Amino acid sequence: MDEQFDCIIVGGGIAGLSAAMTLARAGATFLLVERGEWSGAKNVSGGVLWGTDLHRLVPNYWEEEDGGWERFVNHRRLTLMDAGGAFSLDFKSDHFDAPPYTGVTVLRSRFDAWLAGKVDEAIAASPKPDESFLATDILVESVIVDESGAATGIRAGGDEFHARCVILAEGVNNLLARQVGLEKEYVPADHVAVGVKEVIRLGRETVEDRFQLRGRSGLTNEFVGAATDGIDGGGFLYTNTESLSVGLVIGMAALRESGRTPYDLLNAFKAHPAVADMVRGGETVEYSAKVVSTGDIRGVPREVYMDGLMIAGEAAHLVLNAGRAIQGMDYAMRSGILAAETALEAVEAGDTSSAQLQRYRQRLDESYVMQDMKAFQGAVHLLHSPHMTGALPRMACDFGREFFTVDNEPTRKATAILRDVRKQHIGLVDFLKLGASAARHL
Amino acid sequence: MNPDPGTPNLLSLAERLGRVAYRNQGRSEARPHIVVDTAICNSGCPHKCTTYVCPANCYTLDEMNQVHFQFEDCIECGTCMYACDQGAVAWSYPDPEAGRGVNWQRG
Ligand SMILES: Cc1cc2nc3c(=O)[nH]c(=O)nc-3n(C[C@H](O)[C@H](O)[C@H](O)COP(=O)(O)OP(=O)(O)OC[C@H]3O[C@@H](n4cnc5c(N)ncnc54)[C@H](O)[C@@H]3O)c2cc1C
Ligand code: SF4
Ligand code: SF4
Repeated sequence: MDEQFDCIIVGGGIAGLSAAMTLARAGATFLLVERGEWSGAKNVSGGVLWGTDLHRLVPNYWEEEDGGWERFVNHRRLTLMDAGGAFSLDFKSDHFDAPPYTGVTVLRSRFDAWLAGKVDEAIAASPKPDESFLATDILVESVIVDESGAATGIRAGGDEFHARCVILAEGVNNLLARQVGLEKEYVPADHVAVGVKEVIRLGRETVEDRFQLRGRSGLTNEFVGAATDGIDGGGFLYTNTESLSVGLVIGMAALRESGRTPYDLLNAFKAHPAVADMVRGGETVEYSAKVVSTGDIRGVPREVYMDGLMIAGEAAHLVLNAGRAIQGMDYAMRSGILAAETALEAVEAGDTSSAQLQRYRQRLDESYVMQDMKAFQGAVHLLHSPHMTGALPRMACDFGREFFTVDNEPTRKATAILRDVRKQHIGLVDFLKLGASAARHL
Repeated sequence: MNPDPGTPNLLSLAERLGRVAYRNQGRSEARPHIVVDTAICNSGCPHKCTTYVCPANCYTLDEMNQVHFQFEDCIECGTCMYACDQGAVAWSYPDPEAGRGVNWQRG
């Protein structure tokens, strides 16, 4: 093919499709190549897409009868667990109930396919409907780099395709970012985690009754402590339309140390009394696993652009998990949009050199993505400290067991219980340090 | 005692993998997308961690404590690419036509 696209996008996940939508709307020509049989066929997430960017990409998406999303989040819970107890911070508010919602649960195989359909519609409505394509079931083998070191296209399925610039949106296992040298050839276990998950079908009515949901409202619950048996990481349980997404994210280095298997840990999590009561009677319809970045900024490649190329989404390890939520999909969405905006500007200027594409880095730095990643690094490290999965959840549960138990004995005041519980689990200095660190970083 | 202990349905790994939709299941010979140099595993690897961190148990130990690898059950998660720090794992994506790999139905 001699024809040159304005842009080639590698990967039809959230980052790639968000970039594609932005290009289609602006009337640019592009080729998006996805290795899955359909967009979403290769993708796994826990399942909450946070923020309101979806409304930017697909205005009023909630009005559609059968949109690609599952439930909007109006009830959030963070649970500290020990072996038998669960102490939760629980928040529900009617301010979550009105669109544009600030979080929706998704199952990626459906959601990505739906979003790809929306991109197809945008291509059809663009001034050049026959010059942009979403191509699935094709693996991009390599990026074409010319003698000057600039990316000029891709090799896929035995063919070469050329473009003024390339956006790598290939996800966390970023082989092409490694090929062009923006990512290290071997990425060690330190800044990644392994996610394992089951989708458990309960039926729509049971989901709604059991979790006190109404219409399309939904609950998100994150867990730390015994969820991973004290190993660095945490658990999640999210409500879909008629099923639950239940899983663990386990620090890769810690898992390697522990000698445990992710699937046994997942069974132990499901068997915890608090979780068992939520999944009871359900039928596991899918088991999946995927690597996920931890949100440690040291995992982000040294640079996210070069001559003729930008990296968006988790291919650039843009993820934040600072205890509030796992944010990878919203970061993928925003960075995909920003990369596409930079591509449009560069094509317009007739210059796709790194001098021009560094605007992508600037845009990222100015956006909430890099601002939050930078501001919450302390929280990320705090979350991975052993106290967070060990002493703290045990303290909370010991406190809860005494505070919430009414028996026919004289009752101790909360401060006295707290003091005792603290002494049993953590030294005073460590406790004060933990408190100070939490106050500083959260 | 609680009359209903509420034991959830806990599945074995084999039962779990039975719920994965793999591609090219009918093919007798699929092209491997991950190649493991088991000579490295079996000569100097101090932890053999892939035999327990792989979520699909593609790396197994025999009675002689030797590591074996099969790619057919692989669910393309990427874990072994990071977990192996011995340089034994050459990792890539399955070929859509000739390879194995997954078709997530939910994801
Ligand atoms: C267990 C788990 C729970 C998570 N929970 C959440 C959560 O609740 N909320 C949240 O926001 N994030 C969550 N995340 C993180 C989130 O899923 C990712 O950060 C997000 O999917 C990244 O999007 P992406 O578009 O960058 O990459 P991906 O979604 O991985 O998409 C990359 C795409 O590129 C394709 N591709 C790759 N290489 C090639 C190639 N060579 N040729 C052609 N196509 C290629 C892939 O098939 C894929 O479709 C979770 C992750 C895991 C594993
Ligand atoms: S960690 Fe690497 S070298 Fe060790 S057994 Fe696993 S694949 Fe082989
Ligand atoms: S990619 Fe994941 S499932 Fe496949 S062999 Fe490696 S660890 Fe196992």
